[in-house]
Amino acid sequence: MAPKAKEKARPAAAAPAVAIEDLFASLNRHIERSEFDQAVKISDQVLSIAPGDEDAIRCKVVALIKNDSVDKALLAIEACSNKSSIDFVFFKAYCLYRQNKLDEALETLKGQEKNSAMMLLESQILFRLGLMDASVDIYQNLQKSKIESLEINFVASLVSAGRASDVQGAMESL
Amino acid sequence: FPPTFQAVPRNPIVIDLAYNAIDFPSLENRMKKDKKGFISRLWR
Repeated sequence: MAPKAKEKARPAAAAPAVAIEDLFASLNRHIERSEFDQAVKISDQVLSIAPGDEDAIRCKVVALIKNDSVDKALLAIEACSNKSSIDFVFFKAYCLYRQNKLDEALETLKGQEKNSAMMLLESQILFRLGLMDASVDIYQNLQKSKIESLEINFVASLVSAGRASDVQGAMESL
Repeated sequence: FPPTFQAVPRNPIVIDLAYNAIDFPSLENRMKKDKKGFISRLWR
């Protein structure tokens, strides 16, 4: 992981470090109020002082996604992918999924060690691709993960896979 | 009359559960630690 900008800035001068703390406080406030446009602006301000700051880049990408600007979120991810080693695989795949670039999204997830979020995303991509059985398999593996509302997508996949008779058993096992 | 209720088929509902996993990082340790939270808030 790249060193935090705060530590980098401090030996050089005290002033920018303070400014960054204030900017993060402001950023935090905008996030709490769901003011995602403003959150993007403040993230950019932090990045102008501390290019490559991981928290700022993450905030910018998440704010863009939550603002339904997935195109811009992808651009932000691409822009930093050359400069830093921040892991944006999940966000990138999610943005591609939202753009309906399903094959690309699936390709992005390929070969990754998957957490439950990535598994949910993969299952949703497979569902849209019409690969219902593969989608069902993932929900089956996630059954024990206590994910809220999982049953909704699980049932949808089963029904779309022509396995409505399995629904009752699946619901009982959740 | 009235006619009896009948079940009709519909497309299954899918919700974007992956979206729920998208969250901001914690910024707690990136902000100034202020003990006088209320007063300092007035000066922002």
